[in-house]
Amino acid sequence: MKKLKILVVCGTGIATSTVVSRKLEEKLSERGYEVETRQCKASEVESNLEGIDIIVATTPVPENLGVPVVRTLAFLTGVGEDEAIEEVISKIGGDVQK
Amino acid sequence: MTLNDIISGLGVTVLLPIIIFFLAIIFRISVKKAFRSAVLIGIGFIGINLILGYFLNNLAPAAQKMVKFTGVHLPVLDVGWPAAAAIAFAGKIGLFVIPITVLVNFLMYIFHWTDTIDVDVWNYWHFAFTGGLVYALTNNLWLGMLAAAIDAMLVLVLGDWTAPAVQEYYKIPGISLPHGFSAAYVPIAIPINWLLDKLHLDKIKADPESIRKKWGFFGDPIIIGLILGLVVGFLGNLKTLNMAKSWFDILKLGMSMAGVMYIFPKMVAILMDGLIPISEGVRGFMKARASNRKFYIGLDSAIAVGDPAAIASAMILVPIAIILMVIIPQNQMLLAVDLAVLPFMVVMTIPITRGNVLKTVIIGTVIIAVGLLIGTNLSPLFTKAAIQAQFKMPTNATQISSICDGSNPLTWFIVKLMNSWYGVAALFVVFFVFLYFYRKHRKAWEIIAGASEEAATKE
Repeated sequence: MKKLKILVVCGTGIATSTVVSRKLEEKLSERGYEVETRQCKASEVESNLEGIDIIVATTPVPENLGVPVVRTLAFLTGVGEDEAIEEVISKIGGDVQK
Repeated sequence: MTLNDIISGLGVTVLLPIIIFFLAIIFRISVKKAFRSAVLIGIGFIGINLILGYFLNNLAPAAQKMVKFTGVHLPVLDVGWPAAAAIAFAGKIGLFVIPITVLVNFLMYIFHWTDTIDVDVWNYWHFAFTGGLVYALTNNLWLGMLAAAIDAMLVLVLGDWTAPAVQEYYKIPGISLPHGFSAAYVPIAIPINWLLDKLHLDKIKADPESIRKKWGFFGDPIIIGLILGLVVGFLGNLKTLNMAKSWFDILKLGMSMAGVMYIFPKMVAILMDGLIPISEGVRGFMKARASNRKFYIGLDSAIAVGDPAAIASAMILVPIAIILMVIIPQNQMLLAVDLAVLPFMVVMTIPITRGNVLKTVIIGTVIIAVGLLIGTNLSPLFTKAAIQAQFKMPTNATQISSICDGSNPLTWFIVKLMNSWYGVAALFVVFFVFLYFYRKHRKAWEIIAGASEEAATKE
């Protein structure tokens, strides 16, 4: 089983990305994924892409990074969390085995 | 043994976890989760205290040497938002700020004074900070709590006012940003922006993305910290540059400051982690009671600071802030940790200027210049609040402050008025006049805050 590596991005790499990381770990492990998150600022995305399967961001990130991006506030507002998790899973596609 | 003995005997690393635990239980978090988050909060405070001590012990002597050898008199050390937040939550007002803010927000929503439901529990610290300064000033717990409440009230209305522009510019429907620091600059940014438009500066456009690519390296907090440490160390050792030890010290100070910039926010992340269950509890509690009417969900302005125009403007403002700090004669603040917080200072100005970097930098220059004076003015109270919250200060009479929120004009305004009951009455008058005119001319107000005709609230 491969670990799912998620880069969680917000404006500070600290504030909202901590909340989102915990949520992703909780929700994805419930669905049987092994998850590893890394947090960074929007301006540091390019230098943190090594080995990353997907980016989940609460703030605008640069385009054309070569890695799928899910931009969502669902984990902060509590509205549409399940849909956001579905989006993350669908964007990972077949690369990562459950 | 009195209650006060118990409070000071336990200290914040034990007391706050206990309070957070019971608060979490009240908001119906499971015991296991509540316990773990309470312990995490205590750990966060230990971490912040360690780094704050390390920072002050390294920078304070170096800054004093710099003063001695260069005459650059900047004795007030900028300990930054991580320390300010910890001081706020660890103070007496911080112990009550979560229930106070939830109650204020809930009542204001019922009375139709706000449309925002602020679920960003972490940033309640701004209200606790304002309250903590008022408590340090008056030694009156009720006045401190009142100050926290009125700060929250004003910020909630600021959040409503800016919501259409923020939602439109940042493409975040249904969200407002009732952020005690970022929102405080809106009433200043709007008139300056109007003036700059009259001067046709809105025609000059800079490309934020290319600025970010070109200068991004120097906008990185660890690089800012490194350079700052080297410069302060160099100036402090000007007279002894022929000695190898001086150069060792300069290099070590550079590395120390880079380390502080990197590690300090990580310690805050532990606190935030501990607050997550309570945040969810508060969110559930408030949303369950607010569902009969449309509302904005109030979030941290961190969700917007990734915007290229915000990043680019903040990068340009770092060297400007350093120049201002040296040339403004009344300033006594040595900017350090909060050179990394400037994106939060401009993030709600960006929708007003519609992403115009030049206008944002001009507005930012004005608010930093004024902010240095405010930060200097509030530093005795800031230092007192830190001591009241049991943070260890170096013995050599160092004073501390920060940009966020020591230089916050809204905090300053409240603290200055809260000195007497007349001032308290005046503050409430200001609030109701503000609320009345905003609600009466809502659409027009939202348009001057940067919203388009379509995005502003329909009358």
